[in-house]
Amino acid sequence: MSFNTGNWTSASIHSLVDTEQGKIDPRIYTDQELYELELERVFGRSWLLLGHESHVPKKGDYLTTYMGEDPVVMVRQRDGSIKVFHNQCRHRGMRICRADCGNAKAFTCTYHGWAYDTAGKLVNVPFEEEAFPSDFKKEDWGPLQARVEIYKGLVFANWDPEAPDLLTYLSDATPYMDTMLDRSEAGTEVIGTMQKWVIPCNWKFAAEQFAGDMYHAATTSHLAAVVAGLPEDQDLSVFQPHMKGHQFLSEWGGHGCGFYLDTARGSVRVGPLVDKYYSEGPAFEKAKERLESKMPYHRMGASHMTIFPNCSFLPYGMNTVRTWHPKGPNQIEVWAFVIVDKDAPQEIKDELARQNVRTFSAGGVYEQDDGENWVEIQNALRGYKSKTAPLAMQMGLNVQGKNNPEFPGQTSYVFSEDVARGFYSHWVRMMSESSWDTLRPQPATTATVK
Amino acid sequence: MEVKELVKPFKWADSSPSLELQHEIEQFYYKEAQLLDHSEFEAWLGLMDKDIHYWMPIRMNRLGREMAQEYTAIGQGGHYDDTYETMRGRIRARVSGVNWAENPVSRTRHLISNVMINETEEPNTYEVVSSFIVYRNRSENQADIFPGERRDVLRRSEGGLGFKIARRTILIDQSTLLSNNLSVFF
Repeated sequence: MSFNTGNWTSASIHSLVDTEQGKIDPRIYTDQELYELELERVFGRSWLLLGHESHVPKKGDYLTTYMGEDPVVMVRQRDGSIKVFHNQCRHRGMRICRADCGNAKAFTCTYHGWAYDTAGKLVNVPFEEEAFPSDFKKEDWGPLQARVEIYKGLVFANWDPEAPDLLTYLSDATPYMDTMLDRSEAGTEVIGTMQKWVIPCNWKFAAEQFAGDMYHAATTSHLAAVVAGLPEDQDLSVFQPHMKGHQFLSEWGGHGCGFYLDTARGSVRVGPLVDKYYSEGPAFEKAKERLESKMPYHRMGASHMTIFPNCSFLPYGMNTVRTWHPKGPNQIEVWAFVIVDKDAPQEIKDELARQNVRTFSAGGVYEQDDGENWVEIQNALRGYKSKTAPLAMQMGLNVQGKNNPEFPGQTSYVFSEDVARGFYSHWVRMMSESSWDTLRPQPATTATVK
Repeated sequence: MEVKELVKPFKWADSSPSLELQHEIEQFYYKEAQLLDHSEFEAWLGLMDKDIHYWMPIRMNRLGREMAQEYTAIGQGGHYDDTYETMRGRIRARVSGVNWAENPVSRTRHLISNVMINETEEPNTYEVVSSFIVYRNRSENQADIFPGERRDVLRRSEGGLGFKIARRTILIDQSTLLSNNLSVFF
């Protein structure tokens, strides 16, 4: 494939992110033309999170969502597989399915009645015989199909036939995903439905924060949330940020996570009941046993993660999973859902769902303050000076010796911007390299130097 | 409450409540709105009974034949799904001075109307439906409008404002929340 050329050349895109000096050109968050390129080059070629398998448990169950700004339908097939196709009729471009979710035997466009089966095949065109040319072929006019792959319950899709398979794309990030998805052989299931809300900010603020920003949580952003979760007889004077932990940057792909180490997991965040479930007892012991060959799971505390570009989640009982759907350079829709170990006791599932609403949701005591910060940043970036003065991304720059070999992959200190630099480096590559020949991860020829 | 009941109209009684009861409950709601619109959040928490379930289910776009499943069921999360204890935590956060979503403080206006009251088998306990429009204006130019309906269970109480809120189910007239957060109370 070759890129459409615009005012942004490969060299000018490279100049936007300076990982050696640790500087970001703020226009990556505001420029309309860059945004249009993102839709093509990032969202048109990356594996994007759509939902969880258990959103569509039965054949004909569907969920409508987006890949970038393109509407898609995710449907459970008769054979148990999941298909994802463009939620757009090829006749005049109407959205084929207009409900958020449900069960269907077929989808009929409400404009002129073109009908599709649950696999997205065009099966009926009204007045076909009477009005269409004899060589009109329905099989040529089905909606575009996306590639679909599932990683331990999470459903991802990709428009690009040339992109590497999902496992290759996830690179060496999977052990960290497993801390949420693979604690039990039973896997996970979704609780409730998708919560959606609108934040007038660029999608990268949200995605990068969940990838690599424990810093905001340890400093000023979420003090009110800590107050909300404290027992009645304690106040903020007991709040001490944990200073021990790591962040992980994937070898390829700009995925990242961060986690605390050797700390109480924190009933402040998840409540005492869920905290206990995650730190002792049979479910914890099982998770420890399943994961200990990959990492000392039992030593990990609160954690955050992003799979590039816009899939983020919080393991360790917070268990919110979301896609930051881009809606222009200045707006996102957050589509968030909650997952839980499928074999967890019902009281844990119920409590985890309640705690999630209390903490990491539109009205959550943590998340409401993120919404405030990102909006204010986006407002300020309207200014000329705001757009031309670089933003600082230097934390952890050139700091050596923070890798912890007990954990898989390349790790650094929990308060670092190594992951942010990796996230934006991969963004630059996606935006500037038109061919997977250069972009795809190269076969591992050297072991990671510890 | 079955979630499919939320789709249907409030089941009003055949006979109207007394003018006095109607007046008392409307006055209670107006006073409650005053507390919320003037940042008296701890006093507002005082209106909750200790067994309150404060719940705002998520509302989905559904085809007509599946409208019975428009709302998420109880226990399946929501926009709010709170007990007295978690509401206490929320209010503590709100008055902490570090709840940046509401500091600087928003300007809100709670308009409450369409109040209908059913007496229940429990003495001094009422099922009440009301409509609301909550307007929030914050910072320099942010404006949010949250319209919807509240289905409450109120209990008459000694002292205070005369009633306690034992249940509040909030049906918001939005599927995707059109605001950057939900840091207002209803």
